[in-house]
Amino acid sequence: MKRFAVRFARTTEMTLLAICVVFFVGLVIASGGDLLAANSLRVLLQFLAVPVLIGLAQMVVLAVGQLNLAVGAIGGVAAVSMGVLMAEHGVPVVVALLIGFLLATVTGLVNGLLVVLTRINGFIVTLATMTVLLGVQYRVVGTRTVDDYPQSVKSFGSHAVFGVLPLIFLVALVVAALLAVMLRRTVPGRQLLASGGNPIAARLSGISNDRSVIIAHTLSGAILGVAAILTVASSPGVNKSIGGDWLLPSFAAPIIGGALLTGGSAVVLGTVLAAFIVRFVDTARAEFSLEPSWVNFVVGAVVLGSVVLGQLRSRRQERRTVVKAPDAAVAGGVL
Amino acid sequence: MTLFLADKVDKLFPGVRALDGVTLKLEAGSVHALLGENGAGKSTLIKVITGLYKPDGGRLVLDGSEVQFGSPHESASAGIGVVHQERNLIPGFTVGENILLQKLPTSRGLVDRSAIRTEAARWLAELDLDLDPDQPVTELSVAQAQLVEIAKALSVESRVLLLDEPTASITPNEAERLFRVVAKLKNDGRAVLFVSHKLEEVFQICDTVTVLRDGASVLESGPLGDLTRDQVVDLMVGRVHEALALPPRTVPAADPLLELSGVGTATGHADVDLSVRPGEIVGLYGLVGAGRSELAKALLGLDRITAGEVRVRGQAVRIRNVRDALRNHKIGYVTENRKEEGVFLEQSVSRNIAVTVWDRLRKALGYVPAKAEAAMVAEYVEQLGIRIASPAQLAGTLSGGNQQKVSLAKWLAAKTEILIIDEPTVGIDVRTKDAFHTLIWDLAANGLAILLITSDLPEMITLADRVVVMRDHRVQGEVLNDHDYDTMSQRVIRLIHAEGTTAA
Repeated sequence: MKRFAVRFARTTEMTLLAICVVFFVGLVIASGGDLLAANSLRVLLQFLAVPVLIGLAQMVVLAVGQLNLAVGAIGGVAAVSMGVLMAEHGVPVVVALLIGFLLATVTGLVNGLLVVLTRINGFIVTLATMTVLLGVQYRVVGTRTVDDYPQSVKSFGSHAVFGVLPLIFLVALVVAALLAVMLRRTVPGRQLLASGGNPIAARLSGISNDRSVIIAHTLSGAILGVAAILTVASSPGVNKSIGGDWLLPSFAAPIIGGALLTGGSAVVLGTVLAAFIVRFVDTARAEFSLEPSWVNFVVGAVVLGSVVLGQLRSRRQERRTVVKAPDAAVAGGVL
Repeated sequence: MTLFLADKVDKLFPGVRALDGVTLKLEAGSVHALLGENGAGKSTLIKVITGLYKPDGGRLVLDGSEVQFGSPHESASAGIGVVHQERNLIPGFTVGENILLQKLPTSRGLVDRSAIRTEAARWLAELDLDLDPDQPVTELSVAQAQLVEIAKALSVESRVLLLDEPTASITPNEAERLFRVVAKLKNDGRAVLFVSHKLEEVFQICDTVTVLRDGASVLESGPLGDLTRDQVVDLMVGRVHEALALPPRTVPAADPLLELSGVGTATGHADVDLSVRPGEIVGLYGLVGAGRSELAKALLGLDRITAGEVRVRGQAVRIRNVRDALRNHKIGYVTENRKEEGVFLEQSVSRNIAVTVWDRLRKALGYVPAKAEAAMVAEYVEQLGIRIASPAQLAGTLSGGNQQKVSLAKWLAAKTEILIIDEPTVGIDVRTKDAFHTLIWDLAANGLAILLITSDLPEMITLADRVVVMRDHRVQGEVLNDHDYDTMSQRVIRLIHAEGTTAA
């Protein structure tokens, strides 16, 4: 147990946790304690739910050595479909949300199948499906904003437990927990990480790398389905621009969280913490009334900084040991 | 009792018979050596046995009944454990998970960590290994990782264990520990196949031996005790070879163009002495992994030189990169990885050859006149006899031999004076090979200093004036080539397998 504690203290997660705490305390002081008010905390967490999920949706494909450029497009199509079904076709809430969720999941599955069956690089496959889906999203919703859906959805989106913990934030945490258990404790999860960590060794151990790739993309789609539901519930309305700004944050969170682009790392906690940090940067901007462009600047710098740190870390480790990921498993490549 | 039998196994690759009626018999409670030179078919045979390759003839018999394996998973389930040459552990996983990766224990749908711990501990104990199953494998040393892989191979309840060059990257002390483990496995009644290039190890721990040469078994399951070291070498090398008749060529007495003294590198070389004179072909021979290509890359500045001195034309130099090597020292490197590093497959032959000389051909603003390029390309296409429809043909559409010529042509076009040629004829048919040998011979006759790296012993003996033998990143010794295959091959192979460093 003590050994475990020592190991954890050296992890990226620990560093991120420390940064989170420092950041938070700093913000509380800067705001003169206002941030601790129930309402401020609720808003802070409310806007964290979707970023956490899109980060996880990207993390799970990075874990197998792939990437998903279609995160925003999948979420966008699912969100506008749900909105239009409820508002304009009178489809019951539960059915509409379920259809949207399944739509996103199946799109993820299709991404995985395309990568495996065509052997085309995942970058190109998801770039193509992203473009197709953006077309679909425009076709479904056009230039209008759909907001005339039932009150029950909107109250789900704004409800907060004890007035502090938004329901949608809790949903995001539950998804994160389920994903962590899946990756750490189930056989398909372990196989997925084995395929990402060393595809040759995985194959020689009787693991199907193709299956791992398909599972990863499908999971990514399913998580985006949940993200789309939360978006519909918490935004004033849905339109063609939903999902348009998801791609960069989806990479920022897992990369800051310590994910390896070569695959093999499951950094659920890291991704969640990184989403917190990005959110804090945004809060700080509001607090100090800085220009919005500062957020991009800072997040970009943090991404670069954490990648450099990660490299230093792995180089130090390489010098000591021998087991390392093969070069073949570059992001987007399949064996 | 015969536990496993590979009976008259054939394996064909396009244009090559990789295995030709090979028979291998593994007995329970016995350690069997599989020997052969580079490319003799050892790894192919292991891949056939483990189901990575499908045999084209013959049969596999396990425990008296015929078996067919469609995948490594099937052979593992049948009880054949393998430790491959490459490291095969998953970096982010614990020791326990890696050992049991082929069949992770579960309870109620979740991976059962305590079962992993106890079961992995059982296999670690079986090998007398004091390791914590919860430890990440990234914390292991090379030798520990190796032993964990053996535990992994055993974990499928295997009774047949294949070890492919397990001692290639560990120290003699660690190897001793490995041998104790092998002895234990043997006493437990398992059949162990031991592939190694180190004959002293083979004689130390093996009971029987199969020798492969050119894909055929020249000795099938003979008792090792009846053989001497020299007899084994004779079997590995063989005696028959028809050499290509090349015109006599004398090396002019001149100062060396390239000279290394006491060179050490970041990749592990130490005390490397070497010299190449103009008009001379110096062969660099050694087993795969002896550090020959790595030495070439260090010479080109791709790896750091940490000790000693490199002299070019008598001047001590520090070569920074390939560009520096080419421009300032006129050194070229024809890579062994033709398709990955040698030619631009999607580019025309013409561009491929001109890539090294654009600096010379270009006019103002980097414009390269098509006419000058075409004339220059035509010259080398003619000189090397590259068979192309037009200089615009894509390099990827050429045969292996012609691609190799294109890869060579760009260095000639750059007017290099020192040429390092790495495995020039791998995967090239015999006739083209002869043409290539003539070509390299002529280049030397025209005054180029050539450092030839090849694992093909006949090729080495055909071409080289002197053969420098390397092992474990050091020079074992040097043999003056008398172009007599029998005596030369004996001397070179003996030098490789000699204990310590001696000059022949």
